[in-house]
Formats: sequence, structure tokens, C-alpha cells
Amino acid sequence: MKLLLLGMNHRTAPLALRERFAVEDVRPGLGKLVAGDEIDEAVLISTCNRVEIVCAAPRLEPAQLRLRSFFERELDRRGDAARDPALDAALYEYADTGAVRHLFRVASSIDSMVVGEPQILGQVKDSYRAAVSCGACGPLLTRLFQHAFSTAKRVKNETRIAERPVSVARVAAELATEIFDHLRDKAALLVGAGEMTELALERLRSEGLARIRVANRTPARAAELAGRFGGSAHALDELPALLPRSDVVLTSIGGDAPLLDRDAFLRALAQRRNRPIFVIDIGVPRNVAPEVNELENVYLYDIDDLSAAAAANAEGRRREVVTAEALVLEEQQRFDVWLAALSAVPTIRDLRDRAERIRRRELERQLARLDLGPEQQEAVDALTRAIVNKLLHPPVSRLRDQSDREQGLATLETARALFGLDESGDDEEGDER
Amino acid sequence: MNLDLHAWTAAVYLAAALAATLAVALPAPRANRWAVGILVVGAAVHALAFLQLHRQEPPPPLTGLPFVVSLAAWMAVLFFLGAARFARLAALAVLVAPAAFLGAFATSLAAPAAASLAARTSPAWSHAHVLLASGGLALLGVAGGAGLLYVVHHGRIKAKRGLGGLPLPPLEALDRVNVVALSVGFLLLSLGVLTGVMWVRATQGGFWTSDPHASATLVAWAIYAVLLVARFGAGQGARRSALSAVAGFAVLLFAVVGVGLLT
Repeated sequence: MKLLLLGMNHRTAPLALRERFAVEDVRPGLGKLVAGDEIDEAVLISTCNRVEIVCAAPRLEPAQLRLRSFFERELDRRGDAARDPALDAALYEYADTGAVRHLFRVASSIDSMVVGEPQILGQVKDSYRAAVSCGACGPLLTRLFQHAFSTAKRVKNETRIAERPVSVARVAAELATEIFDHLRDKAALLVGAGEMTELALERLRSEGLARIRVANRTPARAAELAGRFGGSAHALDELPALLPRSDVVLTSIGGDAPLLDRDAFLRALAQRRNRPIFVIDIGVPRNVAPEVNELENVYLYDIDDLSAAAAANAEGRRREVVTAEALVLEEQQRFDVWLAALSAVPTIRDLRDRAERIRRRELERQLARLDLGPEQQEAVDALTRAIVNKLLHPPVSRLRDQSDREQGLATLETARALFGLDESGDDEEGDER
Repeated sequence: MNLDLHAWTAAVYLAAALAATLAVALPAPRANRWAVGILVVGAAVHALAFLQLHRQEPPPPLTGLPFVVSLAAWMAVLFFLGAARFARLAALAVLVAPAAFLGAFATSLAAPAAASLAARTSPAWSHAHVLLASGGLALLGVAGGAGLLYVVHHGRIKAKRGLGGLPLPPLEALDRVNVVALSVGFLLLSLGVLTGVMWVRATQGGFWTSDPHASATLVAWAIYAVLLVARFGAGQGARRSALSAVAGFAVLLFAVVGVGLLT
């Protein structure tokens, strides 16, 4: 049985190309894919960053052709992918060990755009479940995907690849948890609006933030944001009253001069009896005077500080990739051993069948020429059987022994090639006449 | 004094200290859970050590320095375990566990001391003094430890470097434990000083003694008194309060252990 993977991802295909091949419901396509003889089992992974098909097939070449045609005819929304040279450049293909390793890397988030991001494992699990639910996933891919999931878990537990946040919003939320024990009794003040501050606020809210107040130049905009986050809307001139009641302040508002200066925070701290304030200033130019960070109980982070922390974390994750790759390689070799052991039985059976066919044919041919009695015929039959058995004993023993070692798959492939087990030609070919 | 059980206690605390150190050094925050779990076991073994001590015939003197240090270490562990149930303070084990180990280990090495004449003539005051002062030492020690971590963590967040590199407790939790430990610890220390005065009166007739231990303890008490007034009366910030807690504990440690070793 061969394993084959064909696909494209964020590195090989631009978004415009990827979205042409993205699939929402993978089940109808998978049903068609495994309906033919070329492919026995298949799983289709479709996310915003990749479209990949993993399949198990009896023979490699027909499966390759079928997968390629599936991409062109079934997945392409435009329907003319066959004429698109960009598709050739975007598609990559891995067979057997390569396919196993690639899938393990994908599930472990080593192959992701943001290395270590946790979503991909859930997406791969969803894809696997969808394939199981439509009957496209059989025992081989089930074993492969279960092994991929355990590999991803191992990588997560034994490396720090997913430990540090790499987005500005998550860094801001983590900083809040380094300052505050919990956010259940904390209030946040959003000044202005912006995608990044809103993402950060959303993240903080998911951490349990108790109260949200929104101040904006435009009352309608403040009301809209307050409605979205379940908070209260305020005008900018309320800031002096709002600041002392805020534990987290997020600012992203236009203006040439800082909106909040050192004195504003000094007054707020006095009213708060020095309880800390965490300030996230995403505004450019900055909305909070930089010297505010000199105040003992104010922790001010601007966009550069947050970006630098996110970049440092991303670099840390990249360093962990080396360890993660070693784990993936180890798990891939384990899977190869399992696969090899699985393949040893049919290889031995094929070898014995082929030898027996040759023995019978030659025996019949020679018996027809010779004038032998029944006892003599039986003796010749036993003699040839013994010769074949003795000749086959060493290779069969080696195949059994090697199948549970790392090189097992390679040994099996060599044996099949040496004995011509995958050739459909006549067994007499090459025989001495 | 049953040295074997104290040696076992020290071994368990050492294991907790190693787990807590690994948690911060690697960093591997999960190891903190191990450290806290091992500390629970250590506190239980420590309690058994005290029980066995209590049943000795004749009971050893409770006023000796080894016993005071051991009792303070045990109380500090108990207070830490209680605090860690309510706030994300497990990483504080990196200071509590080694301190507990040192306390138990020193006790396991110490030879049993004879009870002083003063302790024998006034056991009630001497026991009250030891229990209260040990409690004060324990809590003010935890306050000093939390203060030290607060100063380090505060500096890292302010300097914006290597965030998350050290899995330290959040500043708010460190400050809260600092405030509680300072308040209760100061109360116990004050009661310890008071019972100490009563003990001196009962045995020597006066209210004060020229003993360096008494003088150094009074200095430490005064530092804590100023600290608490500054914190609760003048609204002093958490960082300065943390620094003061570290300084106060250094003086108190000298008063209890340093003077005891020097004299």
C-alpha cells in the first residue's frame, strides 16, 4: 500500500489561488475520490492556509494521476486549472515516508504560517473526522492520523513551540495576566478604536475582564463599540473621571499630541491608592506620554514594545522548531516501522506464490516429457518443493526480521524489486529454456 | 529532638526546592505544581517530626534556636500553601522551599540543647513567645520573599525585556500576599515581643534586657511599623513596600538567627 500527499499551502500558493481550491464540505469530493480503483482511502485538509489530500493507494502512479485530476476537475472553483501553469508551481507531492513526515509536521504546527499556532491540530482532526464520517478513511489512514495527533501532542508537551504568544493582541493579554492575578474584577477603558486594540480587548474579555468602558470623539462610534463589547459609552471629556476607575487602558485615537499625560495618571493613581494601571497604547503618534512609564504603578506598552515582544516570542518558537523536527523524525520512523511490519506479510505471500507458480509450471513441463511412475512423480514433486522451500527460507526469515526495524520498508521494497513481485509480466520471462 | 524525621523533612523540602528551581530556570511552569505537591508532603512530615518531638521524655527545650527556625519554616510553608490556593503564587515556592529546607536541615544537624534556666522557670511565657515570634518570623519571611520576587518581576515588566522568560507570579498576587503576610506577621511579631517582655519580667524582674537579640528584634519591629504606616497610612506604592519587606526581614533574620549564632 502506498501513501501519497498532494497539496498547496501558504508558501507555494498565493491566497487567490488557495481560495480557488478551498472546500467547505469535503465529504462529497472524498466520496468521489475513493469510489474508483486508484485510491482506497483519502482525507482532505482544507484551511485558509492549505489544501492537501492524503491518500492510501495500491499503486503510486495511477493515484498520482487521479489526485491531480481531482484537483483540476473537482476542487477548482474556476474549472480551468488544467490550463493554469500557476497550479503546477503551487502543488507539492510527497509519497510514503515523505507524506508521513509532512502530515506530522502539519499537525504539529511546524509547517504553519505562525509556527506553533494551536488551531491547525483542530482543523486536521476535523478533516479526519469528516473523512471517517463519509467512509473515505480506512485503517491505514486512521493509524496515520492517530499517530499524527499523538506526534502533535508530543511536540506541544516536549517543546516550547506553542508557549509564547506571537500576536500583538495576545502579547497584550498575557502582559495583563503578568500584572494582575485575574481580570474578573478589573475594568478596561478603550479610548478611540482600531483593529488591534479591539482584538486585544476581545482577548482580554476572553480572559474574564469584568467591565468595559468606551470613550470616543464620536458618540455614535462609542455607542457602537460599547454595544459590541457589552460596555458603556462615554465622551472624551470624561477621561479624567474614567481613568481612576480603569485597570487596563487601551488607546488608539488620532491626534498630534498625547491625549493622556503624566499628570493625568498621577491624579488617577492618587485616587486609586496606587493600584496598578496597565496601558496599551497602539496610537501612532502615541496617545500616552512615554514618561508615564516612569510612574511606579503604571505599566505602559506602545505598539513598538508589543511588536518587539511578539517578534522575540516568534524567534523563540523558531528556535524550538529544531527540537520539534527531531521529534517528528522519530515519530515518522516509528510509523515506518509499523507500516513495514504491515507490508511484510503480503510481500512474503507474494514471494511464496510466485515461487510456487514457477515450480508447478516447470514440474508439469518436465513431467510431461519424462515417463515416470506415480511414486517417482511424487518424489520429484517433493524434491522440487523442498528445494524451493530451502531457497526461500533465508529471504523470508530476513524479511520477517527486518520488518520491525527502521530499514524495514526499504528492505521490503528491495525484495519486491529483486524478485519482481510488482511485475505483472509472465513468470516465464527470463527463464532458461 | 527527633533528628531522623527532621532529616526526612529536609529531604522532602529539598525535592520541592529542586522542582521549584527547575520550574523557574528551565522554565517549566508545570514543575511548580510538583513543588507545591511535594511541599504539602513536606509539611505533613514536618508535623510528624514535631509530634514525635513533643512525645520525647523529657521534652526538649522549645526555646532553642533550632526549634524556632524549624517551627518558623513549617509555618511559612503552611502560610504559602494556604496563599497558593487563592492566588497564582505557586512560583513563590522557589524561595519558600529552599528556606524550608534550610530550616529543617539546620534543625536535623543541631545537637539537642539543654533548656535554659529562664525557660524552665517560666514555661508558659517562653512557649507563647516562641510560638508567636516563630509565626511572625515565618510570615514576615514569606513577605520578604514575595517582596523580592515583586521587585524582580516589576523590573522586568517595566524594562520590557524577556517577558515570560521567568514564570513568576503576577505582581498583584505578590503584592497581596505581601500585604497579608506583613499585616499578620507584624501582629504576631508584636505579640511575640510582648510575650518576650513578660517572659523577661517573670524571670528577671525587669521589663527589658540588654540581650542583643531583644535589641535587634526591636529594630526590626520598628522597621515593620514604619513600613505598615507608610503603606496603609501614606499610600506607599507596592514596589517600595516590597523593598522595605526585604530589608525588614534581613534585620529580623539577623535578630533571630544571626544574634543566636554569634552569641
